[in-house]
Amino acid sequence: MAYDFLFPDVGEGITEGELLQWLVKVGDTVKEDQIVARVETDKAVVEIPSPKSGTVLELRAREGQTIKVGQVILVIGEKGEHVKVVQEKKKDASVSVVGFLEEAEQVLTGKKDVFEGKQIGSSVKALPRVRVLAKQLKVTLETIKGTGPQGEITEEDVHHAVQLPPPTGPKIVKKYDMYGYIEHVPLKGIRKTIAQNMVKSATETASVTHMDEADVTDLARIREKEKVKAAQEGVKLTYLPFIMKALIAALKKHPYLNSSLGTAEDGSQDIMVKKYYNIGIGVDTPDGLMVFVIKGADQKSMLDIAQEIETLAEKARQRTIDIGDLKGGTFTITNYGSVGGLFGTPIINPGECAILGLGRIVEKPCVVDGQTEILKILPLSITFDHRIVDGAEVARFANTLIEHLEDPDLLLLEN
Amino acid sequence: MLFDEFDPREGKQLQIVNKDGVVVAPELEPTLSAENLMTLYETMITTRVADAKALSLQRSGRMGTFAQVTGQEAQVGVGLMMKKNDWLFPSFRETGVMVMRGLPLELFFLVFMGSEEGNRMPDDVNIFPICVPVATQMLHAVGAAWAAKIKKEKTATVTFFGDGGTSEGDFHEAMNFAGVMKAPTVFVCQNNQYAISLPRSKQTASRTLAEKAFAYGFPGMQIDGNDVLAVCVAAKAALEYAYQGHGPSFIEMFTYRRCPHTTSDDPTLYRSDEEVKAWEKKDPITRFAAYLRKKKLLSDAKEATIQKKAEEKITAAVQKAEEIRSQMKIDDIFRYTYKEMPLQLKEQLDSLKQTDALRGTSHA
Amino acid sequence: MPELNMVEAINLALHQEMKKDDRVVVLGEDVGKEGGVFRVTTGLQQKFGETRVIDTPLSESGIVGTSIGMAVVGLRPVAEIQFDGFVHPAFDQLVSHAARIRTRSRGRYSCPLVMRFPYGGGIRALEHHSDSFEAFYVHTPGLKVVIPSTPYDAKGLLISSIRDPDPVVFMEPKRIYRAIRQEVPAEEYTLPLGKAEVRRAGSDVSLFCYGAMVREVEKAADALQSERISCEIVDLRSLFPLDTSAIIDSVKKTGRAVVVHEAPRTCGMGAEIVALINERALLSLQAPVERVTGYDTVMPLYALEHEYMPDPFRIQTAVKKVMNF
Repeated sequence: MAYDFLFPDVGEGITEGELLQWLVKVGDTVKEDQIVARVETDKAVVEIPSPKSGTVLELRAREGQTIKVGQVILVIGEKGEHVKVVQEKKKDASVSVVGFLEEAEQVLTGKKDVFEGKQIGSSVKALPRVRVLAKQLKVTLETIKGTGPQGEITEEDVHHAVQLPPPTGPKIVKKYDMYGYIEHVPLKGIRKTIAQNMVKSATETASVTHMDEADVTDLARIREKEKVKAAQEGVKLTYLPFIMKALIAALKKHPYLNSSLGTAEDGSQDIMVKKYYNIGIGVDTPDGLMVFVIKGADQKSMLDIAQEIETLAEKARQRTIDIGDLKGGTFTITNYGSVGGLFGTPIINPGECAILGLGRIVEKPCVVDGQTEILKILPLSITFDHRIVDGAEVARFANTLIEHLEDPDLLLLEN
Repeated sequence: MLFDEFDPREGKQLQIVNKDGVVVAPELEPTLSAENLMTLYETMITTRVADAKALSLQRSGRMGTFAQVTGQEAQVGVGLMMKKNDWLFPSFRETGVMVMRGLPLELFFLVFMGSEEGNRMPDDVNIFPICVPVATQMLHAVGAAWAAKIKKEKTATVTFFGDGGTSEGDFHEAMNFAGVMKAPTVFVCQNNQYAISLPRSKQTASRTLAEKAFAYGFPGMQIDGNDVLAVCVAAKAALEYAYQGHGPSFIEMFTYRRCPHTTSDDPTLYRSDEEVKAWEKKDPITRFAAYLRKKKLLSDAKEATIQKKAEEKITAAVQKAEEIRSQMKIDDIFRYTYKEMPLQLKEQLDSLKQTDALRGTSHA
Repeated sequence: MPELNMVEAINLALHQEMKKDDRVVVLGEDVGKEGGVFRVTTGLQQKFGETRVIDTPLSESGIVGTSIGMAVVGLRPVAEIQFDGFVHPAFDQLVSHAARIRTRSRGRYSCPLVMRFPYGGGIRALEHHSDSFEAFYVHTPGLKVVIPSTPYDAKGLLISSIRDPDPVVFMEPKRIYRAIRQEVPAEEYTLPLGKAEVRRAGSDVSLFCYGAMVREVEKAADALQSERISCEIVDLRSLFPLDTSAIIDSVKKTGRAVVVHEAPRTCGMGAEIVALINERALLSLQAPVERVTGYDTVMPLYALEHEYMPDPFRIQTAVKKVMNF
């Protein structure tokens, strides 16, 4: 089939030449390597050999004509073959030229067009790590202000941006679920704190509740008698000061109940036995349970304690209590019995070892030395952290407490 | 020793057969068998035909730039005199001597077709690949010669270079090492009068190149480089000298580069046509043919047969070369950099393969 | 204004500088009578004579070594090495002396030499004629390295190099010696060393390149335009001193970068630029910097050369990779 012979580059860098002479004519038979033409280039006169054997079908250049490298100058094929009129092949540098310096086809102009692209925007500064995080959390970096030292966006900035409520649009609160109407009450303030503390205590301590009863008949009589005297001093006298003193007496004998389990700097855990006695008292306020602390209760008189209880309780209810009075407790008393109930399983105040729950004092028939008597019985529920103390110790502690409650004169003796 | 008789410092040049094929030094005429004489002739013809074919391929775009040997075919004499185990360290204008020593013809074409396969010599052919950085091969020859000494082999190494090569630093270092080490190396300088455009007179102020050898402590000789018998005789003497443990020697083949430096060079810029024509009259093949005819070893018919045979061999070689070239793969770029492909290269090869795969399917 | 290719532009620069300054001397193999194997020094010996335009013996170390001697006593030699692969014998002179003379002599001696040579692949040449070893010179303190990519730049940069008081390695991308023709002012002008040129402004990705690769990058950028990707093309021009500000400014603007060079990958200019971006513009990056380079293999002969050299397709692929990161 017809073969187009393109004028090759016959020496590095030439681009054109003048066809001086054809050594063949149309119809001639040629052999491969037979010289078919003489061409003058800017370097020399060169003899061009035929790349193929065959019949000369067409001479595409005239003698005297300037031919360009890559231009078809000769068509070789079978005798009698019809030559298709082929479009002059554009000079293609890779086709027939070797060891070749490409020649410029046109003059380069100095146009520099500015093409505006997607403007993906990298005015934002952020470490690659942060960009990945932002992508994962679906945060658009351009909307965040960076707080890093160079104004860059930090990981915290990204996290913070995620926690922020959506900037626009009203908050939609559903008034019902699939079963009926509901009311949403946000968990915040004291309720939230209580929730956090109770969960912390419940999950971190090994709590066990020890229950027992104390005969407070004698104690009740003393209280009745002294109530009047206290009122003259402007103090409302409840059972609490007595119970507190009895409690302290028991704590002194069983010090581990007045401790907390802490983690030291090196990660080791210590039972920190407190040598001071700050007793917390739970008070029911309209906003929730609060615990105020009577500091150094072992050194205050019962009247002082009574006074302090009254003052702090009122302050707590009014929400004017100083935060210092809510902290620092070593043991807590919770007096749910003032509302109702006998026994319970109170939750230990986080950071303490045990909590004393007081039920309602009830008059009950009891058997004493074989005789039935009507006694005032105070139900006691002591929840303790089994990590720090065992049941036996707590039982002994409870016995000591009960001993002091049932025989108030002991308090006189020991003070 | 032959070298003593032809001291270049005394202006002596060894010639046995003159440009008309007449024996001018009958006492030095070598006793080569008819077979060997014909081998010389046939190889010179093969070289010339290969050159012509290569030029034609280059002009028609099937081969790249390359260096012809036109006018320097007498070099084949050195190849005939070498033993099988001797090593040849050529530059890039030694087609003749390489073919004489067993270079498969397709390798010659492959190198200039842009394929490294052209440098893959057969295992039993002791030829180092052509060397383009001028004169660097000479040091290799000396090192290999020293190794032969250590291995107690009775072999010699032969290195070829041009007049231009004698200006490079490596030339002087190689010559000096060879002299000091008494290395069995034969330095063959093809003084073809030009280093691209620089004439020999501007290359060095020395009167001859052969005399440089004396500075390094060994003998040098200038010979008529177009007289293949002189080449044989000189090469034999030099090789014997080396085999016997006397060390290196230097042969300056006084010849002429009738062709351009490479196919992309234009010699009309720096030399005259008259000069070239004058040297045509001293053509090595013409004079040797005349010599052989006188010896009744060559006739018109025989000449034609040899020519035809050469052409057939070369056509077959070109075909084989193009076939080998077409089978090259991109892995070949990476395979031979190290004996074991390091991880970095593996990764790059994979990446290249991936990109090439994309090429096929991409519309870009 | 004359329309010249790079060969002609360099030739013009040499003619003009030799005329203006008697101290300028050109030497090398075949530079005089023949005018250089690429005809870059055509006409110089005819005009300025054999003492100023010297055809040297075949010895690269000789050429550079003697050039150093000339430079030290006040001449301005422009030494030509015929091809990139033949600079190596001269490397000792370059590194041990040219680069250090000012330092060692505390400024008493300097070496205002220009060593120019054609480099790079893509012309289907023989072995050792297609290498890209610019990293060797960039890594040698004391040398300056300049690589033009257009005829206009070639003239201005060469004149600056000749006038520069320090040794300059002037590498001419032979692949585009004749492939670009543009208007080059006949009068003298200089272009500063150490300054890159933004060939094309863009906003999506910064493409850093030099030499013959600039043209390949431009082709890739044209193709990417149809995919609505806006490429900024920065032609480095000087590899040492490197225009670090231009690089950083561009990356801070676009946030994405691709470096293109035909030299082998490991320890090439790409590695240096990535390190620079890491130090000064990490916070602006939206994707890792991609390098499109030659491989860590010997430069292949022309049968497989096209597989080795970066081409528009490979460049486009890299750009898309950083755009889609």
